[in-house]
Amino acid sequence: MGRWLLLFVLGVIAILMVSPLILTVFTSFKPTTELVNPPWAPPVSLTYEHYVRVWTEAGFSRYFFNTLVISAVDAVVMIVIASLAAYAMVFMDFRGKLVLRVLFLIGLMIPVTAIVLPLFQIVRGFGLVNTHLGVIFADLALAVSVFVFMFSSYFVGVPKELHEAARIDGATEFQIYRRVVMPIATPAVVTTALLEFLWSWNDLLLRLLLLTRDEMRTLSVGLLNFQGTMTRDVTGLSSGTVIMAIPVVLLFLFFQRHFVRGMTAGAVK
Amino acid sequence: MFLDPESRWARRLNLILFLLPALTIYIVFAIYPTFSVVEYSFTDWDGISPERDFVGLANYERLFTDKIFWAAFRNTFVWSGVIIVINVGLGLVIAAMLARVWKARLLLQTCIVLPVVISPMAVATIWRWMYQPTGVINQVLEGVGLGGLATPWLGSPDAVLYALALAHSWSTIGLSVVIFLAGLQAVDENLYEAAHVDGANAFQSFRYVTLPALRPVTAVVFILTLTQSFKVFDIVWATTQGGPVRFSEILSTYMYKRGALENQYGYGSAIGVALLVIVSLATVIYMQIQSKEDR
Repeated sequence: MGRWLLLFVLGVIAILMVSPLILTVFTSFKPTTELVNPPWAPPVSLTYEHYVRVWTEAGFSRYFFNTLVISAVDAVVMIVIASLAAYAMVFMDFRGKLVLRVLFLIGLMIPVTAIVLPLFQIVRGFGLVNTHLGVIFADLALAVSVFVFMFSSYFVGVPKELHEAARIDGATEFQIYRRVVMPIATPAVVTTALLEFLWSWNDLLLRLLLLTRDEMRTLSVGLLNFQGTMTRDVTGLSSGTVIMAIPVVLLFLFFQRHFVRGMTAGAVK
Repeated sequence: MFLDPESRWARRLNLILFLLPALTIYIVFAIYPTFSVVEYSFTDWDGISPERDFVGLANYERLFTDKIFWAAFRNTFVWSGVIIVINVGLGLVIAAMLARVWKARLLLQTCIVLPVVISPMAVATIWRWMYQPTGVINQVLEGVGLGGLATPWLGSPDAVLYALALAHSWSTIGLSVVIFLAGLQAVDENLYEAAHVDGANAFQSFRYVTLPALRPVTAVVFILTLTQSFKVFDIVWATTQGGPVRFSEILSTYMYKRGALENQYGYGSAIGVALLVIVSLATVIYMQIQSKEDR
């Protein structure tokens, strides 16, 4: 196949892949009067009115803030707990290590969908339904395995001598973790933050079950309800979709390499 | 309190401090519910009352005679099958093409992988809009003279499952492409040289060099797509909720309806267990292949 033909075919595929997003952006900026034009026609006169409407009246500012809090906390806490556990798994000797390894492996196999019913009951048992904390615990539990293994694979590469030398110098385990091991695992930290943030940002099922009060809801549930009540509000729905997509699209564009590496490594989830 | 850092107690304390946060959350919110779902499936619990009676295999017996369950079961396999064909087949072709391009490669790859980060909820909203009877898909079909194919995609019993599978593939194929690309970069260049010397054309070298070298990666993408697509809930729930009638009902949506909406926790859990077994089996196979590859 000639080089130019190859480029042409790939170009067509690339345009087809992004066109649903571009059409959505077009629609979100169109004045209602321009909706009679075909979807692929760019807006003639731009309007921000739909964004303002969705952001204020439909409560998307609240949803956005809720989603941001949950996703950010998820990402930060995940880095801490997964790396600590991975440190213990790699550098500490203890009985039952194999059992623990198998236990974490199980986590890679559990489909969230299959266990949401009892998960809801447990969260309810702790009185955490309709709290962000409940969602955060569930998020962390269901993804922690992936990141324990991700950190482990980085820690295994830390030279044993480096670790031993720090210990002989009198450093405590926590100091070694903080000063010696974690700096080497920076790529794993970035990947964990990005992936956990993304998964948390995008999830619907857990939030649908655990957050029923409107002021606690996230963008995914907010958008679902908006779609249910305002089925014909095409411009509002497009603006809502764009609001939900913008942060993760920006993250992706800035950190594409990390995302790609993380998605291939954490592909099991 | 200064403990000798080498003492047994200090070590044990360290171990607990490092492991406890992750382990507690993990066991309480992931492992325990996994056992619970199996336990629930042997009861007639409604999810609310404090009492629940052990009913043995009654829920599973009901599964076997439940026509809707089997419809959902079949739909889930059809759904996964369509997605696998697209994500593995087309994903491999796109990756192979991308691997041969240098100019504009990053731009092309970015466009193709970008939908991967879009939330399934947003994907649902976008495609629901595009699939409307007067939506862009039908408008394009009419524009290119294929107006006869136009149909209310999500309202059509014959088309709905395939239409949704296509939307899901759109948002996940980038992952296959990325994994295939990584696999392609590991193929020994000398093999292509040798094929070229032997007079192979581009298609032949793809058929006889690339494909065999990529077999393990293909297996990984295959199983990965299978497990991922079996777990899907969001996009179906946010578009058709399994409808029209039951034509896009899949295991996850059926479980959600019975369990969470109709409070049939016992029965919903039995559906969950079916899902758990299928996905776990596929994942075990996946990890076997991967660990073989690592060696």
